[in-house]
Amino acid sequence: MRPLVARFGTALAACAVFAFFALTADGFLAPYNLLGIAKQISHIAILAIGFSLALTAAELDLSFANIASLAAVACGMLVHTHHSPVLAVAAGLGLGLAGGLLNGAVVTLLKVPSLIATLAVAAIANGLAFLLTGGVSVVGRWPTSFTAIGRGVWLGVPMPVWWMALVALAALWFLKQTRTGFRLVCTGEATQAAALAGVKVKHMKLLGLALSGLCAGLAAVILTASLSSAAPNMASDMLLTAIAAVMLGMTMFEPGTPNIPGTLVGALTIGMLANGLVLLGAPYYVQDIVLGLIIIASVATSASVLTRAAFAV
Amino acid sequence: MAVVDEPVLRLSGVGKHYGGVRALSGVDLEIAQGECVALVGDNGAGKSTLVRILSGAHQPSEGTIAFAGRPVRFRSPADALEAGIATTYQDLALAPHLTIAQNIYMGGELLLRPHFLGLLDKARMRREARGYLDRFGFAVNDLDRPVSDLSGGQQQAVALARALRWQARVVIMDEPTAALGVGETRMVLDLIRALGAQKVTVILVSHDMDDVVAVTQRIIVLKRGRKVGEVVTARVSPSTLAHTIMTGEIPPEASAA
Repeated sequence: MRPLVARFGTALAACAVFAFFALTADGFLAPYNLLGIAKQISHIAILAIGFSLALTAAELDLSFANIASLAAVACGMLVHTHHSPVLAVAAGLGLGLAGGLLNGAVVTLLKVPSLIATLAVAAIANGLAFLLTGGVSVVGRWPTSFTAIGRGVWLGVPMPVWWMALVALAALWFLKQTRTGFRLVCTGEATQAAALAGVKVKHMKLLGLALSGLCAGLAAVILTASLSSAAPNMASDMLLTAIAAVMLGMTMFEPGTPNIPGTLVGALTIGMLANGLVLLGAPYYVQDIVLGLIIIASVATSASVLTRAAFAV
Repeated sequence: MAVVDEPVLRLSGVGKHYGGVRALSGVDLEIAQGECVALVGDNGAGKSTLVRILSGAHQPSEGTIAFAGRPVRFRSPADALEAGIATTYQDLALAPHLTIAQNIYMGGELLLRPHFLGLLDKARMRREARGYLDRFGFAVNDLDRPVSDLSGGQQQAVALARALRWQARVVIMDEPTAALGVGETRMVLDLIRALGAQKVTVILVSHDMDDVVAVTQRIIVLKRGRKVGEVVTARVSPSTLAHTIMTGEIPPEASAA
């Protein structure tokens, strides 16, 4: 009985949140509102999945939001200056990956703990984003071949939701079915044991951080396309939200371990809370208070890998 | 009695110094396939250093090691494992939250064909993991249980099943019973006997003289970084062995060399 509560307790709580808003907030259950929530959380969920992958290798990535902003302005500026959308997308993804690889190199080669290394890389990415844009946003009437990435609808479902589903399935398959994914898990669960068994733990940590960067790049491209604009700090708000989604996710399904289904349900729960609170007329800053409480409560109950990652030197 | 013609491990003049500190010097040793020997000695006798050298964690400063007749030089424990020398550590070598099957195959996963895709063959790993555990008489019904659910003795069985998965010819067990109760200790001693029955060589490092006398055939005594002698287990009692370790004097009637 107890393991069941541990595994599904918070998922049930998420259902309770859903039921609460369904009953109290007018319009919450409307299909456009529910799809709106799914679309709203899609970027956050992709960022959160990236963070989960780094955390799976017991590394913290606190830079993904700033890397996403940098990738977004690079992507947006290229579209804005009439370059091919393919090039713009490649630049966004490439910058994300490069940021992640930089994190990985600093952590594995220079042996700087990821908590510090990624904060520093976040500052660098932030500075570069402002340097590139001179501090102003890029807004324009961009070709639909680009904006469709974020604004398109397929089978009645907005494209960002499809991207989120695709990334989640890919991450889940990678972790559960591939040797590299399994070794990523081993690295985070028992670094020393994995190394003794021949797992190249440094490569795995580099990979985890690189994947987090790549997810940041992808989220940036989708976000830029949905908004038809890019600003040097456009994703910074998402840092805490995405981390809260992962922390909340770590309390369910596989307690104490970052896991993809948990991360998705976590992101969905936070999205519902934000949406429902707005519908109920609560001021937007109440969301921040709720986020903070969610993080504390989640980590206090189950976050073994996280504590190891945060304090590993 | 002691050593058959083709030893699986032969050490000649193996020594190790860390900077100016001599931890081990001039160790000659031969161990036969399927033999169970103990490494004993007081703290600082050089047991850990010798284990680290044999397991690939450290490299000897001098001397040579031949494994299965060929000279070897391991650069890492993974290297030694690949060659066929597995080491079980007190608590480091298992991932507590991973399942039994996952622990057995960590670092040595079985893959679906074609192998270059890197896809896990979970069904086969589960099936074969069960086979390895069966060899220790450990009938486990659920291989998807996390290792942290198991008792200390069962965890040792998982660690040894991993050694079998690597087709290890030599298993080094570092203090396998240190944290265990009486019943669990008995289980681990049975595991060690089971390894011997399968012609796997066991090198046991233990502070527990009763355990050493119960399962080994031969005992290597170290003192201050040197091998002072070998004892035929059948000719000593736990108490004389404890005395030997303290003084470094091998009782002549028990000496194996």
